[in-house]
Amino acid sequence: MAVDKQKALLFGGAAALRLLLFTVFPGLPSLLAGRVEVSTPVTSFKRLQEGLFLYTHNVSPYDGGLYHQAPLLLPLFSLLPNPSHHPFATNLVFVVVDLLSAYALAQVAQSGTAAVSRLFSSSRRDLRWSSAAIAAGFLYNPFTVLTCLARSTSALTNLFILTAMAKASQGASITFTLALSFAAYLGMHPILLFPPLLILLYDARAAKSKTAPSAWSFTITHTLGLTAVSGGLLVASALLTGSWDFLAATYGVRLLLSDLTPNVGLWWYFFIEMFDSFREFFLGVFWLHAASYMPGLTIRLHKQPLFVACTLTGIFAVFIPYPSIADAALYLSLVPLFRHLFPLMRYTFLASAAVLYASFLGPAFYHLWIYAGSGNANFFYAITLVWSLGLSVIVGDSLFAALRDELDVERPELKGKEVRRI
Amino acid sequence: MLSSLSLFLLSAFVALASAASDYHEQLLLRPLPQDTLLASFNFRSNESQTSFEQQNFRYVPRSLGQILQHAHTQELHLRFSVGRWDAENWGQRPWQGSREGGTGVELWAWIEAESEEQAFARWLTLTNALSGLFCASINFIDATKTIRPVMAFSPEGDHRNAPNLHLLHGTLPHEVVCTENLTPFLKLLPCKGKAGISSLLDGHKLFDASFQTMAIDVRPVCNLDDGNCSLEMEQSVDMVLDIARSKRPRDNPIPRPLPVDQIECDSSKGYNAHDTCFPLNKGTEPGWTLEEVFGKPLRGSCPLIEDSDDTNSVCINTPPERTVDIKSDGEFRETKFASDTLRCYKLPVGADFDLVLPEQKMTTGLNRPDPQLFAARSINGHGQERGSTQAIIKNPSTTEPVEFVYLESLPWFMKPYLHTLRAHVDSSSESPIKETYYRPALDRHRGTHLELRMVIPPSSTLTLTYEFEKAILRYTEYPPDANRGFDVAPAVIRVLSPQAADKQGIYIRTTSLLLPLPTPDFSMPYNVIILTSTVMALGFGNIFNLLVRRFVGADEVPTTAGGLKGILQAKVAGIKAKLGRA
Amino acid sequence: MALISSILALRRDARILKIPPYLSALCIVIGIAWLLVLPLNEYSRNTYVSENALLPGQVHTYFTGSEHNVFRAYRQEVHAMIDRPVEERSQRLGDIFRSNNLKVATQKYSYHVSNRTIANENVYAILQGPRADATEAIVLIGAWKNMDDEVNNSGVALVLTLARYFKRWSLWSKDIIFLVSGDSTTGPQAWVDAYHDGHDERYVESLKIKSGALQAAVAVDYPAGPWGHRYDKLHVLYDGVNGQLPNLDLFNTAVQIASSQMGIGCAIQRMFDHRDSYKERLQTMLRGMVSQGLGHATGPHSSFIPYHVDAITLSTVGDGWHDEMSLGKTIESLFRSLNNLLEHLHQSFFFYLLIQANRFISIGTYLPSAMLIAVNFSITSIALWVASGRSTEPIPNPASTAPPKDDSAAKKDIAALSTESRQPEMELVEQDDHKALVPKASTAITERHLLFPLLSVLTIHFLGLIPLYMFNTWGAENLSRLYLTFANGTTLLPLVIAWFLSELRPLSTQEVTLIQCFSLLLLGMILAALATLNFSQSFLIGVLATPLSFVRKTNKTWLTAIQLGFLAVLNPVMVAQWSAKLLGADLQEVLVLAAQGWHVWGLWTQVTVWLIWFPAWVLGSVVVAGGVMEGGLVG
Repeated sequence: MAVDKQKALLFGGAAALRLLLFTVFPGLPSLLAGRVEVSTPVTSFKRLQEGLFLYTHNVSPYDGGLYHQAPLLLPLFSLLPNPSHHPFATNLVFVVVDLLSAYALAQVAQSGTAAVSRLFSSSRRDLRWSSAAIAAGFLYNPFTVLTCLARSTSALTNLFILTAMAKASQGASITFTLALSFAAYLGMHPILLFPPLLILLYDARAAKSKTAPSAWSFTITHTLGLTAVSGGLLVASALLTGSWDFLAATYGVRLLLSDLTPNVGLWWYFFIEMFDSFREFFLGVFWLHAASYMPGLTIRLHKQPLFVACTLTGIFAVFIPYPSIADAALYLSLVPLFRHLFPLMRYTFLASAAVLYASFLGPAFYHLWIYAGSGNANFFYAITLVWSLGLSVIVGDSLFAALRDELDVERPELKGKEVRRI
Repeated sequence: MLSSLSLFLLSAFVALASAASDYHEQLLLRPLPQDTLLASFNFRSNESQTSFEQQNFRYVPRSLGQILQHAHTQELHLRFSVGRWDAENWGQRPWQGSREGGTGVELWAWIEAESEEQAFARWLTLTNALSGLFCASINFIDATKTIRPVMAFSPEGDHRNAPNLHLLHGTLPHEVVCTENLTPFLKLLPCKGKAGISSLLDGHKLFDASFQTMAIDVRPVCNLDDGNCSLEMEQSVDMVLDIARSKRPRDNPIPRPLPVDQIECDSSKGYNAHDTCFPLNKGTEPGWTLEEVFGKPLRGSCPLIEDSDDTNSVCINTPPERTVDIKSDGEFRETKFASDTLRCYKLPVGADFDLVLPEQKMTTGLNRPDPQLFAARSINGHGQERGSTQAIIKNPSTTEPVEFVYLESLPWFMKPYLHTLRAHVDSSSESPIKETYYRPALDRHRGTHLELRMVIPPSSTLTLTYEFEKAILRYTEYPPDANRGFDVAPAVIRVLSPQAADKQGIYIRTTSLLLPLPTPDFSMPYNVIILTSTVMALGFGNIFNLLVRRFVGADEVPTTAGGLKGILQAKVAGIKAKLGRA
Repeated sequence: MALISSILALRRDARILKIPPYLSALCIVIGIAWLLVLPLNEYSRNTYVSENALLPGQVHTYFTGSEHNVFRAYRQEVHAMIDRPVEERSQRLGDIFRSNNLKVATQKYSYHVSNRTIANENVYAILQGPRADATEAIVLIGAWKNMDDEVNNSGVALVLTLARYFKRWSLWSKDIIFLVSGDSTTGPQAWVDAYHDGHDERYVESLKIKSGALQAAVAVDYPAGPWGHRYDKLHVLYDGVNGQLPNLDLFNTAVQIASSQMGIGCAIQRMFDHRDSYKERLQTMLRGMVSQGLGHATGPHSSFIPYHVDAITLSTVGDGWHDEMSLGKTIESLFRSLNNLLEHLHQSFFFYLLIQANRFISIGTYLPSAMLIAVNFSITSIALWVASGRSTEPIPNPASTAPPKDDSAAKKDIAALSTESRQPEMELVEQDDHKALVPKASTAITERHLLFPLLSVLTIHFLGLIPLYMFNTWGAENLSRLYLTFANGTTLLPLVIAWFLSELRPLSTQEVTLIQCFSLLLLGMILAALATLNFSQSFLIGVLATPLSFVRKTNKTWLTAIQLGFLAVLNPVMVAQWSAKLLGADLQEVLVLAAQGWHVWGLWTQVTVWLIWFPAWVLGSVVVAGGVMEGGLVG
C-alpha cells in the first residue's frame, strides 16, 4: 500500500532525525532543557530529574520550590535508567511520544471532521491536505523537534490532547475521557477543551449510530466519567506522595505564578512589575480572561467543535501562565487541518513574519539580557509581546475565516462578496 | 616542643587559671608573619543561676540578661566578623574558629520551647531585641534566613531539659560590621572600655584590621558534684592588625611614598643608583608598642578583677629571644610559661602599661601548626541564569583522615539541583559523603539547608560541586543596589575528628559569595502593565468582536461605502458641511 | 478593520509589484546615507559619566616620589627577565609580588591551533582588600607582550610598582588582582576562562587561587625599554571579542581622568591626530565599525568583555612629555574610582559608536541604518514570493515544512477548485481595487513547489560547514594554498552547480524565484537579528550583499555576464582578499588569526561568513548563472 509505505517513511524519517540529533549532539538536550523558550518551570526536564532524585531518596519533591510537575511522572520516569548516565531510554520515550502524537493528529485529519461535521460542511471541503502531510507538518516542525530534544514534559500533554481529539473525532468515549483527563491532570488548562471535544464526540457518535443519543444523559455521563478519572488520578498521586501537598506545588504554582522564570508568555514580566497589592486581583483577571474564550467560542461555533478546540490550543499558547514553543507547535500543527480556510485568511503573512522574526530575535535578546548584560529585561519582554501578538493574530484571523466560511454556507449568494460585521 | 603549642591551647592554658573567678579578662598577643599581629581579647563573667533568675545581675549585663530571659534563650552565640583569616600564612585560627563567624553577622541559639512554632516566635523576639541592643539589622533574620542545623552545632553548656531545646541559626552575610556595633559591645563589659585591656579597643584600629571578629557566647555551666549552675558569659574580640598600617598616626593616615632615604635599597643590584632603588625587605620583625598599634594607652587593670596572684591580663607569645620591654609607672608582674614562649603580665592598677618591642632580627620563630582543613568556595560559570558552586577542601595532615560536617544555608532565590551534587577526592574513587541532610527551599518561605558529613583521607583534596538556578524576583523584592548582586552566607565546616579538646569544637568558615541575579527594568511598571494589557486587549477584542457580531453583505449595510476611500469621502463630506454652515 | 482591509486590497494591484526593487534600493541608500550623517553634531552626543559612584578624578593621587625610584628598579628587573625561560620569568615576577605580601599563583596554558602550539604562562597576584570580603575584585593587567609583539617592559614594571603601592592603602573595598599574562590575547583568555571555570583542562591549567566576581579590568601597554620613553597620548582600546563593547562609563572615566586630571590627551582607533573635523570623525567611526565587525581581540582587555567584565586597555603612543608616573597616577585614580563602585557597571551605554574620545552615537540613533539594509532583503523576498505565484499566501504557512505530497495533493484540489471559481475573478475586474479583497479567496493560484527550493537553500547553507571546518582545522602552512583553491573554486562554483542543475533537473522559473526568495528572506532575518548583537558586522555584510537583492535570472547573456562579474568581486572569499589588501593586512596572518580566534577566543565571525553570507552569495550567483545555461541553450 503506497500510503502506508509513505507514512512509514515519514515516521521513520522523523524518528531517525530525532535520534540522530540526540546522538550527534549529546550536549544539546541539556542545553535546550535550560532554554526558557523551550522548557518552563512546569515542564522542564532538569526539574523533573531533580524531582526524581528527591523522590528516589525519599525526600518529598513537593516540599521544595523546584519541582512543579505531576506526581505520576515520578514512578514512570524512575523506571527508566538515570538519564544523566544512560539517556538513550529517556530519549526513545520522547521520540515515541512525538510519533504517537503525530499518529493521533493523522487520525484527526483522516476523520475529516475539520471541514465536514454533523451540522456543517464547508463549501470548500475538497480543499484539504492529506493526513500524511499534516502529520509531517507536526513531525518536522522545528518547534516540535526542539521540544522533543529538550525532553520537555509538555510533549506528553500535547500527546494526550491530540489523542483526545482523535478519539473524540472517532467517537470513542472511554479512551477520549481517559486521554483528556490525563491531559488535564498533566497540564491543568486542557480541561477547558472538554466542552468542544464533547460536542465533537457527540457528533461522531450521532454520525455512527443513526439515532442521536440524548444530549443531556450524554453530557452528564461523560462529565461524571471525566471527574471520576481525574479524581482517581489525583487520589492515586496523593497515595503515591503520601500527602496532598502536590496540589499546591503543581496546580497552585500555575494558578498563583509564584515562580517568575521568564518564558515566551505574557504573564511573567507583568507579575514581576506588578504592585504587590494588586497581584491577586490581576491573577484573577488573567485567569478569567484565559478561560473566557472557551464558552464564547463553543457557543458561537458549536457546529465546528474541532475548530473550537484547535483555536483554544492557540489561545493557550498565548495566554496561559507558562507557555512554551511546545504549545505553539501544537497549535501550528493543528491549523493545517483547516486548509480550506486558508484562502479566507487575510493577515497570515504579517502574523507569520512576526512569529518568525520573534523566534530569531528572542534568543538574541535573551542573550543580551542574561549573558552579555548589555541589554535589559525589556529586550526579551518586547519579543515575547511580538510573539504573542503574532500568534493571537493568526488565531483571530483563522476565526474570521471560519465564520466567513459558515456564512458562505448559510447565504451562498454572499459568496465572494465583501461582508461587514454589525 | 612546647613552642609549637597551638594558639588555642595557649589561650586555654591561661584561661583555665582563673575560670572560677566571677570576672576575668585577658589579652593574648601573637606576632604573625607578613608583619601582622594577632590580638585576641577575652572577657569572661559568671553569674550564679539563682541570682540570674532573681534578676540580680553583677557582671552579666542586665540589658542582655533580660533579653535572654524574655526569649527563653538557654544558650546564645552571636558573631560580628569582617575580613578573612589567611590560613596559609597565619596557620590555625584563634580558638580554632569556635569564636568566629562568617562575614557579617551570625547568630545561633538554643531556645527553650514546647513546639517548633513557639521556638520560632521566641527566636524572632530574640533577634529583634538583639538588633536593638547591638545597632545591627539582626531583625532581618527572618524565616528565609533561619535554619535548624542538625549536625553542625552542639551545645557548649550543660543543659537540663535537652528535649525542649531548639537550635536555630541565622546569618546576615551582607551586614557591614563597624564601630556602631563595637560601642554596645564595650558597654556590656564591666569596665566599659575605661580600664583594663578593653581600654585598648578602638573602632578606628579594630575596623582597619585585616581580620576581626567579635563574639558573644552565653551558656549555663553546671558543677557536676554539687549540681549548682551558673551562667557564663564570654565576650571575645580577635583581630589581626597590619602593623605598618595601624602604626600610622590617625591625623595622617595616607600612606604617602616614603622619602627616598628612608627606604632601604638593595645595593647589590647592578643598576642601583640615586634614582633607582630595588626595595629590600630586611627580614626583621617590625618594632611596635601597644600604644602605637592600638592608638590608645592601656590604662591599668580593670579594678573589678578580684586580686589574686594568677590573674595575668596581658600575654604575649613570641620566641624567647624576642626582647620585650615594659613601660609602666605602676607595679606589674611578669610570669613566663611554656618554656618562655609565653610571657604574661599582671597589670598595674590605675597606671598605664605598655609593651615595647623594638625592631629585631630573629633567628628562631614559632612554628605554627596547620589548621585541620583548608577550605575555599567559589561560583563557577557566568551569566545571570544559572551557575555552579565549587568548594575545594584540603586535608594537610599526612597521617590521619579528617571527618567533618559541611553546612550550606542558601537563600531561596538560589535554587540548587541536588542531583548535580558531586563530591570526589583526588586520592580515592569512593564517595567521601557519609551522610546527607537536605531541606529544599520554598519560594519566599525558607532557604535551602544542606548538611553533609564527609571524610577526607590524609593529604588529599576534596572537590564539591553542585549546579544551581537563579530565580528572578518581583521588582519590590530587590534591594536598592540590585545590580550588585546578593550575598550568599559562608559555608560552615565543623571538624568532627580529630576531636576538639573541649565542647567548643573546631570550626572553619569559607568566604561569602556574591550572586548576581537577573534584574527587571525598575523604571517601567506602568509601561509593562499598559503594553501587556494592550496585547491582551487586542487578542480579546479581535476575537470577541468576531464572535458577537453578525455578518451581512457589504451592500446591505446602510452606511456609506466602506474602506479607505469611503472613510475619506465621509470626512470630506463632513468638512464640506461644516464649511457650508460657516 | 476597514482601513486594513482596504490596504490589503491594494496588495492585489499589479502596479504594486513594480515598486519593491525601488523600495529596497531606497532602503539601502537611506541606510548608507544615515550612517554618513551620524558624525554630525546633531546626531552625536558628548560623553558623560552616569554612574554617580565613580566620581572620576575626585581623589588626590600620591603615586610619586620614591615610587619612581622603585619603578625604575623594577623596570630593570623586568628587562633582565626578557631573554630568560618562561619558568624563571614567572618565578622572579612571583618573588617580587611575594616580597610585597601578596598571594601569588601561576597558570600554564598551551593551545594547539592549526598545527602550531601557543604555550606560555600567566602570573597573577591577589591583593586582599582590607575592607573587602572576597566577593568583588578588579583586575590590573600587564601583558608580557603587547599586540605588536614588543615586550611590555615598563607596563609590567608599572604593574609591579602599583602592586607594592596599593598594598599600603587600607581603603580597598574590593580585591585587586594583578595579572601578568604571557601574551596579549591568548593569555588573558586562558586566565579569564579558568577564572569562570569555562576552560578546557587539556589546554589550560585551572587557577589555584581565586577571588570574588570580577567588576572591571584595566590593561596597561607601555613597551618602553629600561631607560624609559616619554609618550604623548594614551590610546584607549575598547573593542571586545565579537564586537561586544564595555560599559561606556568605564571608558569615560578613563578618558576624563587622563585628560582633565592628568592632562594626557586620549586617542581612539589609531586616530592619533584628531582635529574633530567631519572627515576624521567619520574615519574614526568607520575604523571602529571595521574592528567591531571583524570581532577580533584588540588587546588584553578583549577577552574579559564576553564574560560581562567591562575592560579597557590604555596604551601609550607617540613622543611627548608624559612619563610613567603620570600613567601610574592615571591608573591609581581610575582604580580609586572603580573602588567606589557599589554595583556592577550598568548605568551607561553598552551599544555605542565613538567618533572621538568624548563624543559618541547611541544605539537608537545608528541602529536604523543596519535595520534598513536588512529590511531591503526582506522586501525583495516578499516581492519575489508574490511574483512567484501572485498569491497572498504567506511564505511560512504552517505546512511549509511539509514534504512534497501535501503540495501535489493540494495542487490537485486547487486544480479542481480553480475551474469552479473563475467567475468571481471576472467580477473582480469590474470592482474597485479595494473591494477586490474577498475574491482572492477562490482565485486560481499557481501552486508553489516549496519543497525543492527549501531543500536546496537549506543544503547550500549546511554545505557552509565544510569551509568552516577546513579553515579552522588545517595547518597554518596549508591555509594560504587552501585559500587560493577556494578563491578559484568558489568563483566557478555557481556555474558548475547551475550546469549540473540544467543537466539533471532543470529548474522552473518559479523555483528559481523561490530559491532566491527564501535565501533573501533568511539573509534579511538573520542580519536583522545580528544587528542587535554586532551592529557593524551586520551592516558591513549587509552592504556587501546588497547586489543579491537585485540580480535576477535573465536570458540576455551579456547582462548575466555583467551580473556574474559583479558578484564574483563580492564573493566573500574575494572580499576577504581585497579588504585585507585595503587594510594592509597579510592574508596568511588573517587566516591564522581567524583560526586561533575560533579555537581560543570563541570568535563567531567565521560562522556568520561561512553559514550565512557565503551560502546566500552562492544561491544568488547560481540563480544568475542559470541564465547562462539557458542563454547557452537559446543561442
